[in-house]
Amino acid sequence: MTATPSKLTVTVQRGTEGAIRHEVFDVPAYENQTVLDVVTWIQQMADPTLSYRFACRVGMCGSCAMMVNGVPRWTCRTHVNKVAADGQLAIAPLRNLPVIKDLAADMDPFFDKWVAAEARHHPSAGRSDEFDPVTSQEPARAEADLGIECINCGICYAACDTVAGNPDYLGPAALQRAWTLLNDSRDADAQGILAAVSGKGGCHNCHSMGSCAQYCPNDLNPMRAIAGLKRETVRAAWGGKRDA
Amino acid sequence: MVHIDRHDTDILIIGTGGAGLFAALHAQQSAPEGTRITIAVKGLIGKCGCTRMVQGGYNVALGNGDTVERHFMDTIQGGKWLPNQDMAWKLCEQAVVRIHELENEIGCYFDRNPDGTLHQKAFAGQTADRTVHKGDLTGIEIISRLMEQVLAQPVDKLQEHRAIGLIPTRDGSALAGVLFIDMRTGGFRLVRAKTVLMATGGGPTMYKYNTPSGDKTMDGLAMALRAGLPLRDMEMVQFHPTGLLAGDHTRMTGTVLEEGLRGAGGQLLNGAENRFMFDYDPKGERATRDVVSRAIYAEMRKNNTTDNGGVFISMSHLGPDHVRAKFPGMVKRCADSGFDLAGGLVEVVPTAHYFMGGVVVDADTRTAMEGLYVAGEDAGGAHGSNRLGGNGVANSTVYGGVAGDVMGADIRSMGALRDPCPEILQAEIDRALHPLSRPPGLVQPMRHALQEAMWEDVGVMRNAAGMERGLTRLAEISSELMEVGVAGDDLAFNLTWHDWLNLRSLCDISGAITLAAMARENSRGAHYREDFPETGDLDASYFTVVTQTGEALDVRRDPVQFTKVRPGETILPEDAPETLVAAQ
Repeated sequence: MTATPSKLTVTVQRGTEGAIRHEVFDVPAYENQTVLDVVTWIQQMADPTLSYRFACRVGMCGSCAMMVNGVPRWTCRTHVNKVAADGQLAIAPLRNLPVIKDLAADMDPFFDKWVAAEARHHPSAGRSDEFDPVTSQEPARAEADLGIECINCGICYAACDTVAGNPDYLGPAALQRAWTLLNDSRDADAQGILAAVSGKGGCHNCHSMGSCAQYCPNDLNPMRAIAGLKRETVRAAWGGKRDA
Repeated sequence: MVHIDRHDTDILIIGTGGAGLFAALHAQQSAPEGTRITIAVKGLIGKCGCTRMVQGGYNVALGNGDTVERHFMDTIQGGKWLPNQDMAWKLCEQAVVRIHELENEIGCYFDRNPDGTLHQKAFAGQTADRTVHKGDLTGIEIISRLMEQVLAQPVDKLQEHRAIGLIPTRDGSALAGVLFIDMRTGGFRLVRAKTVLMATGGGPTMYKYNTPSGDKTMDGLAMALRAGLPLRDMEMVQFHPTGLLAGDHTRMTGTVLEEGLRGAGGQLLNGAENRFMFDYDPKGERATRDVVSRAIYAEMRKNNTTDNGGVFISMSHLGPDHVRAKFPGMVKRCADSGFDLAGGLVEVVPTAHYFMGGVVVDADTRTAMEGLYVAGEDAGGAHGSNRLGGNGVANSTVYGGVAGDVMGADIRSMGALRDPCPEILQAEIDRALHPLSRPPGLVQPMRHALQEAMWEDVGVMRNAAGMERGLTRLAEISSELMEVGVAGDDLAFNLTWHDWLNLRSLCDISGAITLAAMARENSRGAHYREDFPETGDLDASYFTVVTQTGEALDVRRDPVQFTKVRPGETILPEDAPETLVAAQ
């Protein structure tokens, strides 16, 4: 067992857009401690005005995603030992999003783009119809399954340099969802999805730098999905049909 | 005079779990053209709350011998004859519709059998393979798909809006609106609506160890109690036997280690690393949730515990590689948190998981107050004294949809928006501002004190003397809270102010839980009385009802109405087998 330092030195980004500052806190170290616990300790014991967001505590909701030593992470699932061997932590709100206050980012642009990418099911059947018998043995469904465990935490969006350089870019998460839908034989609007992801902020902005896949805590690969979208949108532009 | 922003709508939905999101979609389908719909939520849409955290799945009878009748009988027997039978019936019947809606209209994709039919498994207490699932992350699939549907709808969205008071009309005959704090600014917002669905979720987080999402603090039930609404089955707190134990300083403590670990052969060891479950039940670790929880609690009382005061779960005898392959998500989560589930020992404790109690409603989600509807974990009755695994998300999605349908129909006969009672509005504002007028202090130690008191005195095993002591402790904590302040110079996203308000809600509902638990002098489902260990006469089954008048709480016992089936009887055909589940 590695020795745990008795305290952590934690630099926290404070304030709102246009009035950012950094403050340093000494936080007691424990053997079992996540970055979320560190943030929580500061708010509960040292500075009651510190703002941040969390919900499920177990890596299912993604509400607590923040930048930790410059890297986007779920703070609830990041053990301090993994990121602060020298007892130093720097915590900031999720990158590429407006700041509401302190560590709480405004997720609205991320979800607005989710909607803009047509990233929702377009029904081809109703509640009185039978279930579609499609199974994961079918290649398209297997492809859809690859992206289905996305929890919309925004880690890939924060990691993406293309998003940083182009605020209109829909980003990896929304595009990956569009790709899963395109491969879902039950979805009735492939044309609408292709149109949504081939526009100005669409999939062709991706430079395949791969940060999305590198940082996804669920080991998903949005870059691969976006490559698929690029192929399909090009094929559609040439009037070809999908071989599904 | 404090400034209040105002927002008018026709239909207001509070909460964006399975109930709230389904209500929004169904209200849009059923309400007349031009109806204004607003959803408000304490966190982000679809991200806070507990639907997302559902691991197991969704109970629904889809044939292969299983029937709505069988699902209903399992629900009634699991609830130890306390459920409202009309609600339980509608839950089982409409789950069939809702699961098709989730797949075909919302876009969920549940695990399939090789022939393309939906895969179903049997949870404890079920007599058929009934639970539809998406791996062990069913909640994420359901809530993500619902969320993206609702985000694309033209409804008004009030995120990070915390409901703090139900504001009736001056004559008290109906609900006029709901008072919120816009958490991002710290300002007040009054939303008037013709119909309001309260679907904030329950979540028994007043216990030292608990599983729900961190935003869950019984705000809905606390508002309902203050508004004079009757709350039923308040003593019924479901404990999950294996919550992670990692110390008081970490939010990891209390989170669920899944049921399947014990089912697969996981062993529970006390502090001396000896197995103990067979001292309590011949099924050992495979006994039901309530039995295992009580056994662990008993070991803890005997101080046969680990360093942190719990017991160990051990999987390594099954082969670490096998454990890693069978429970990849659980092993990874433990590893992220610093524990080796596959090869080592992990400390666990029983942890408060689900709240069966809630507002008294009818099977159309209507309450005693005109204009107020309640669905999901805020509503009592469907589960009685115990919720079967897989019936939680079925309940919230079924009744959320019902509420949307009913509100959409009811507003057709409702005229103008109602005027809120100014005195009650002011009283709710004063109540929320109270801590800002007191010298600032630490809120968290009081939350710990409440959680210790409820855990020790109104917990897994209860007795009259303990609960009397609990009531005294509650009263002390409650009055101490009123003297602890929060600095009010910056109310924008002020979590410490909300911690105070959270604790206020939890104190209020803890009182109701304790009174109901004292009133139930038998042991049913989740409620176990050491001084009354017998089930009691099933034919004379009653449910507790707590109401508040002024500051005083009153508890009464109402007889269960056996509207569909009486104890000892069944609605299954005479030749129906006892179970359809193949022996393990």
